[in-house]
Amino acid sequence: MISIRMQTEAAPRAVQDGDAEIKLDARHVNFFYGDFQALHDAALSVRARRITALIGPSGCGKTTFLRIFNRMHDLTPGTRATGEVLLDGHNVLSSDTDVIRLRRQVGMLFQRPNPFPKSIFDNVAYGPHMLGWSKARINQVVEESLKDTGLWDEVKTRLHRSALNLSGGQQQRLCLARALAVEPQVILMDEPASALDPIATLRIEELMQDLKQRYTIVIVTHNMQQAARVSDFTAFMLMNEKRAGEVIEYGPTDDIFNRPKDSRTEDYITGRFG
Amino acid sequence: MATTRTLFDQELAELKSGVVRMGSMVEQAIAESMRALVDRNNALAKEVIARDQEVNELHRLLRERAFMIMATQQPVARDLRLIVSFQHMVLELERMGDHAVGIARAALRLNDLPQLKPYIDLPKMAEITESQVHEILGAVIEADQDKARAIAERDDEVDTLYHKIWDELVGFMIQDPANVQRAAILLFLAKDLERIADRVTNIAEDVVFLHTGRIVELS
Repeated sequence: MISIRMQTEAAPRAVQDGDAEIKLDARHVNFFYGDFQALHDAALSVRARRITALIGPSGCGKTTFLRIFNRMHDLTPGTRATGEVLLDGHNVLSSDTDVIRLRRQVGMLFQRPNPFPKSIFDNVAYGPHMLGWSKARINQVVEESLKDTGLWDEVKTRLHRSALNLSGGQQQRLCLARALAVEPQVILMDEPASALDPIATLRIEELMQDLKQRYTIVIVTHNMQQAARVSDFTAFMLMNEKRAGEVIEYGPTDDIFNRPKDSRTEDYITGRFG
Repeated sequence: MATTRTLFDQELAELKSGVVRMGSMVEQAIAESMRALVDRNNALAKEVIARDQEVNELHRLLRERAFMIMATQQPVARDLRLIVSFQHMVLELERMGDHAVGIARAALRLNDLPQLKPYIDLPKMAEITESQVHEILGAVIEADQDKARAIAERDDEVDTLYHKIWDELVGFMIQDPANVQRAAILLFLAKDLERIADRVTNIAEDVVFLHTGRIVELS
């Protein structure tokens, strides 16, 4: 509901979640593929239980940035990240980070649904099973995760059938359920709806709104309308003259899409380039 | 930076020129309706009334165009503000056109009666209002928010004159019941001018919004 509050022109605008707790704090992050620098001095303070969108043209480093948050880049030989990414105060880039535990805390949803060639149940139970949880707890978490992703009613009678028979949208929600099953705190989403039809896309977007009550979400998207619709905060990234990605502007989504401060942000979101 | 939205930019430019064209038509209507009163020219008053159809038609076309651009181009940020502002501006201009018709109708009724008094403050008020309309169109063209704010401030001059005219006309009514009809018509006419100035302020607010993204109250 819109509440009426008399406001003079000079009065400051309401603080838009600016004081929300910082869950993930990236500072002075540089990233290298061999000699090539893909990110330059990137910073981002991700607020807890909010949706933060990373937008920018192809090659600006947004997916690279996202993948650093749970050390996915470790899987690519010859890469190196410097700077700090603090998760609840702990630098995930430090050598003493338990990467397996980190990826449980910071889950990821990819561009294309990637269910395991297993049953629906086993897909969701995979992580909890690896963690050695009891059968009863696994049964419970599978049901809860499938309910959280709105999939339970659609699949409850065929939990032991192959996940590969589900539609693309259902597969993506299953992958989300799989990520939720290990009780993460942060969910990273890399173009999670780009391979889905418009209805399945809207279901994912609605789901994100439900999930942000409990989880912190960071999403990379090329779809600017999607970023504007779903996110609370938006970071605009761009390549510098050396082709390294930089965060150009970061703020409440309302400001980025209505009153961007940097002309490069304005040019990009209004489709003048990119 | 090279633009990738040439067609969109062209559509926005056409919309803007439509708004300015509508503004010029309204500006002319206001000036001619007042001239019809001062010169007791019934033919000119009728012309103003007839030409309001063109203003209304242009208003309809510009609204349709703005809606179509929004539906097909999904504008954001400054582009969106531009279209939303233009939509509001044309609404204000259309109403200004109606006020000009109100003045022309008042002129037709007054021109058939003996003149109550020499018109002094009304033309003065009209002169300020007309110049406000003219200047606000300039501020729209230049997207100049400082100019828009300065124009809105002149509303006080119009209000002062309106209250002066009001007091004077009420005095005429008290003086002699035979004056009531003409004084009442002149009061409505003054009210039309006063409302035009208010609508100029509304357009000035649109110019500020266009520039800053903030919805402000300038009155």
